[in-house]
Amino acid sequence: MAAVLRAIFGYLFLVFIVRVAGRRPGKQMTPFEFVLIFFMGGLTLTFMVGDEASLTNALCQIATVGVLHYALVLARRKSPRFALATDGTPLVLLANGQWYTETLTHMRILREDVMTAARDKGLATLDQVKYAILERNGEISIIQASDE
Amino acid sequence: MAATQTAPVEDSIAKIGNEVAVGEDMQFQRRWWRFEKAVWVVFLLIVLLDLAGAFGRGPLAKAHANTRGGTMVVDYERIERFSTPSILTIHFGPSAVVDGRIQLWVSDSVVKELGNQRVIPEPVSSVIGNGGILYTFAATSLPDSVEFALQPSHPGIAHFELRVPGATLDAPLRDEFEAKVVVMP
Repeated sequence: MAAVLRAIFGYLFLVFIVRVAGRRPGKQMTPFEFVLIFFMGGLTLTFMVGDEASLTNALCQIATVGVLHYALVLARRKSPRFALATDGTPLVLLANGQWYTETLTHMRILREDVMTAARDKGLATLDQVKYAILERNGEISIIQASDE
Repeated sequence: MAATQTAPVEDSIAKIGNEVAVGEDMQFQRRWWRFEKAVWVVFLLIVLLDLAGAFGRGPLAKAHANTRGGTMVVDYERIERFSTPSILTIHFGPSAVVDGRIQLWVSDSVVKELGNQRVIPEPVSSVIGNGGILYTFAATSLPDSVEFALQPSHPGIAHFELRVPGATLDAPLRDEFEAKVVVMP
């Protein structure tokens, strides 16, 4: 029973920390974020496993994390408020030639990060970007300014 | 064959510049940023408290106590961690030695709750009784000390007692020590 409780706590704690630590996975993931994700995962494992290196423990904990993840995804689908709390909301970083500085500061995103996303889209300069949006999965979507 | 279920597409997601459906919720986001700030303060506090030893294995966790009769000086950790090794050291005064031997009674919580793994040095004998274990050690010269290698088996509050029943004291006849240990999960 203790192993299952440890798995529940470990999973929820990790989800919470990753949510609070910032939304920069995926394409915006720098080596710093890699360190964060792997290090936290490793540390959580030590207390989740403890001295129970049995197959039974591993199966029970994997099943627990699986069920919990399913429950979280289900709750996310059923409740828009819960989805907002777990995933956040898309955020505008740049629109019509204006930086949204409050969002950039709080989300710890550099203008260079936006330019990286723009280059990825084949754009050479920032004035070709009409909108830059930080998506809920951490990626930056770029909408190109139309040629007029 | 049942028809595939469908629903009409509604333009329900809030737009920016009246052209791109983003669904940004700044009211929620500002509340979240305030919450995040509070969480970082709590995390910083946790780190500082941990460095100070408030959760064990640091300066605040270490305890040093003398018994009233001067038979024992006890070094222990008042805050332990579950399944984490630590050492309980008992230094004996001259009054503890009787006929070249030291007798030490420890409550069974030292074994059960605090998870005693071994006693250093090895006692000459150990007798179970009265809710504890009576160890007898050979002692030739002072200062002498005994160490208990602990590894707590349960989180919670553990209470332990130590006595030197054979100490040559006028009053009280038995020199005792008791303490509470918090075992962090």
